[in-house]
Amino acid sequence: MTAEDLARELGRRAPGQWELYRKTAESRETESSRGLQRAAWRREEGWAARWWEAGAPRFAAASSPEALALALDPAGRLPVLQAPAPDWPSRTAPGPAEAAVAPPPDVFADLARAVAAASRGEAILGGLSLRSGRAEERIVNAAGLDVAQEHRALDGVALCVGRRGSRAREVRLPFRWDGVPDLDPFARRLADAATLPLSDRPAPFSSGQWLLDPAVGAALLTAIAPLFLADRPPRWVLRGQAASRLVSIVDDASRDASFDGEGVPTRRTLLVDEGQLVGRLYDLDAAKRAGAPPNGHGVRPSFRVPPRSGPRRLFFETSSPSAPAALLSSVTKGLFASALTAPVRVDLAADRYEIEFTGVSVVAGRAGGPVAGARSTGRLSELLRRIASVSTDTQFFPSPYPAGSPTLLVERASFE
Amino acid sequence: MNWDEAAIQRWLEPLAGRGGEIAEVFGETLTELVLEWRDGSLREARVRREEGTSARRRAGGAEQFVFVTGTGDAAVREAVRALRAESSSEPLPIRAPRPAEPSDIDAFPDAERWSRRLPAILSRHAPRHAFTFRLRETERRVVADGRRASACVRRLVSLEGRFTAASRAGDEERPFAFHAPASEGVADELKTLLAAAASPRDRAVPAPAGQTDVILAGGCAAVFFHEVLGHPLEADAEASPLRGLPDARVAVSDLDVSDDARRLDLFGGYESDDEGTSPRAVRLVASGLLGSRLTDRGHAAAPGSTGHGRRAGASDPPLPRGSNVVVAPGSADPDEMLRRLGNGLWIEEFDGGSVEIASGSFRLRFPRARRVRRGRLSDELSGGVLAGELLSALGAIEPVLGREVRACRSFGWCARAGQVVPVGGAAPEVLLRRLVVRPAP
Repeated sequence: MTAEDLARELGRRAPGQWELYRKTAESRETESSRGLQRAAWRREEGWAARWWEAGAPRFAAASSPEALALALDPAGRLPVLQAPAPDWPSRTAPGPAEAAVAPPPDVFADLARAVAAASRGEAILGGLSLRSGRAEERIVNAAGLDVAQEHRALDGVALCVGRRGSRAREVRLPFRWDGVPDLDPFARRLADAATLPLSDRPAPFSSGQWLLDPAVGAALLTAIAPLFLADRPPRWVLRGQAASRLVSIVDDASRDASFDGEGVPTRRTLLVDEGQLVGRLYDLDAAKRAGAPPNGHGVRPSFRVPPRSGPRRLFFETSSPSAPAALLSSVTKGLFASALTAPVRVDLAADRYEIEFTGVSVVAGRAGGPVAGARSTGRLSELLRRIASVSTDTQFFPSPYPAGSPTLLVERASFE
Repeated sequence: MNWDEAAIQRWLEPLAGRGGEIAEVFGETLTELVLEWRDGSLREARVRREEGTSARRRAGGAEQFVFVTGTGDAAVREAVRALRAESSSEPLPIRAPRPAEPSDIDAFPDAERWSRRLPAILSRHAPRHAFTFRLRETERRVVADGRRASACVRRLVSLEGRFTAASRAGDEERPFAFHAPASEGVADELKTLLAAAASPRDRAVPAPAGQTDVILAGGCAAVFFHEVLGHPLEADAEASPLRGLPDARVAVSDLDVSDDARRLDLFGGYESDDEGTSPRAVRLVASGLLGSRLTDRGHAAAPGSTGHGRRAGASDPPLPRGSNVVVAPGSADPDEMLRRLGNGLWIEEFDGGSVEIASGSFRLRFPRARRVRRGRLSDELSGGVLAGELLSALGAIEPVLGREVRACRSFGWCARAGQVVPVGGAAPEVLLRRLVVRPAP
C-alpha cells in the first residue's frame, strides 16, 4: 500500500474532497536524574486522511498506510451530519533531504552548576530530559496540493528542587532552545521558581504596580489565545479597547515552517492592533464558515487528530517599547511576578482571571524581599487595558506552540 | 500481534545476563473511535489505529529505550536490533522478516449500537450538549527475558463535555465526564449518572473562601487519595514527604486505602502491567498506618514489582504509577455523615487535581458543591479549589466513613511526566476538617 494507492481510494470515496497527511519523525532523547541515565531513540510514522463522504466530514489516522486503508471504512459508515467541505489549497513544494538526528548535547552537569550558583546552593537540578528531533510532513489533497517540510527541535523538561530548612519546593519547566543552549537565564528561572516560594513571605501590598516576567506574560497570552479562535468573541472584547493601546498581538510562524498543517502558506497575522481586536486565526474550515480567506493557522498537534484553528507562534508586540531597566525603575510600589505557582486561570466569557505567582516586592525601582506566593484576581479586560509599559526583552516559551512575551508592567493591580 | 515469543526471548538473552537487569519488548495495538456530538447530531467521526513496538534494557542506573512504529516481525527485529546497537552488544543477525499482515478493523462492533443509543440517552437527559465520546481498545503484549510473556486487552468508554441543564434560575451550562470499562451495563450506568447530573438545581452562589470542613462524597474521595497518597507513594517520587515514614501513623485507624489494579470494573484496571507483571493490591494506608510504595521492575525491592509499571503507549518507557484507588467502607449513612460535619461543604465531584511532591501541597478543583448548615444540605455553590498539605490533610480525616463505596466515574486520566494513563477509584464518604477552599475566579 502506498500514498498513491491511498489517494486513489480517497478519490473514489470523495471525489475532489480529500486530503492525505503523512508524518515521519525521528528523535534522540537523554534523561538524566540522580538515579537514572536513560537514552532513547524513537522512529515514528503517522498517516491521516480527511475526506467528505456522503457530504459529511470523516477522519482516520493510523501508523501505517495499510492500517489507514482499513480505517477508512469504519469512519465512512457512521451517520455524521453533513457539512460543507473547505476550499482546498493547491501548490507544490519539494520535500527536504533526509538527515540523521544527532544526540542532544550533554548539559546536565553545566546546568546543575548554574542552578546551584543562581540559587546560592538552595536548589538542585533533580532531572533533565532533553530531546533532539526531526520531523517531516507531507500533505497532498484533491486540488493538487503536494507539499513537504521539515521541522527540527531541541526541547525538554527540567526538574528542580529547592530546599530551605524543612520546606521544599519542586518545579518542572519545559523549554525549547532554537539555537545553542543558553543555560544561565534558564538556570535563573529554575532557581527563582524553586526557591522564591520557600521564603514564606506573603505579598506586602494589597495593590500596586505589577511587573510580569516574560514567562508569566507568555502564560497569560496562552490563556487568552482562545479569543482569537472564537466565532463570537465575548462582549467585553467587542465593546472597544480589548487591551492597552501599547499592546499588539501577532501570530507569525514564518521562521518555523513555510506552511501550516493543511498546506496553507504561513503568514504574519495581526490579531490585536494597538489594543483593538482586528484579526482571527483561521484554518480551512473556519475560513469557509466565516467567508474569509484562510490565513495559515490549521494546526495539527499530532497526526492523530484533524487540523484545527490555533496559534502557531503567538507574541506581544508594541510600537513603543521600553528597556527592562526602565520598567523596573518606574515601579514605585509593586510586585515582580517571576514565576507562576499554578496555571493561569481565565474565564473569557465572564471576563475574569486568576494568576498565582511567586516573585519579589519592588519599592522605588529597587527589588525588595522575596514574595513566596501571591494571587491576583479580577477582570481580564482591566488587566489587559492597564498594561502601561512593554519591554524589549521578548522571550518565547513552549506552550506547546511558541508563545512570546516581553516584561510587562501593569498599573493598579490588586494582590492577595 | 502474532509474535514468535521464544525467538524474542533468545534475542533478549544477551542483554540481561546479570541479576537485576531488565530486557524486554513491548507491543501495543490501539484502536479508537471518537464521536463528536453537538445537540443530538454526530458532527465528526474519527477512527484511529496505531501499532508500536518498543524495546528496553535497564542495567544498574542506565537504561536504553527504542521505539519503532508497527508490531510486525520487522518492527520487533528493528527495535531489538537498535537496542542491541544502543547497548553496544552483538548485533542481531539480519534475516528477511515475515510479512506483516494488518488485521481487518472490526474493533468497534459496538460503534453502530452506540451511535444509535447515545442520541436517545442524550436527547432525553441533555438535549443541548457538546460531548466527545470515545471507545478505545488496547492490546498490549510484553516479552521479557526469563519471564512468561503476557498479554492484556482493555476496552474503555468515555463521554466528556458540557451540556445545558435547567436550573431554578434558568438554563445553565454544566460539565460532565464519565469513564468506565466497556461492559454490558455501562450504557445504563451512563444514563443514570447523566440524569442525576441534569437534575434541576437552585442558582449557585460563590463558594466561601477560607478554612472549612468538607465531606467528599460520590466516590470523589478516590481523587483526593490518588493525589495525596498515590503519587507520593510512587516508587520514583524521590522527594516525597512520605518517603521516610514507613509504617508511620498518618491517619485515623479506621482508614484503609489501597491501590488495586485488579479491579477490572474500574477505569484504571488491568490484568498485567506494561512490564508483564500481574498486579497485586497495595495497601497505601492500612488502619491509619502508612503502607507500601507502588513499584515497577526498575524500582522493586525484595518482593518484586507490585505490578504498577505503566506506560501511556508503546513510545513511552514504563514508570511506577497508580491505577485504581479503593477506600474501604465505614458504617455511617449519609445523614450521619452530615450530622458529624455540622457546617461545611459537600463535594461530589472533582474535575482536576495536582500534587507538588516535594512540598506535599495539593489542590483539587471542584465544579460545584453544596453548603451544609447544621447537618443539612443547603445552598448550591459554584466551583472552586480545595487546597492543603498532604500530611495535615491525612491527619484531618475524621474517624467516620460512609458505608457505601461508590465508583468515581468522573475520574479517568492522570498525567505525569508527559504520560497520560487511565486511572479510577471507588470510595465512601470521607469527612475532613479544616481544608482551605477558594472560589473559582
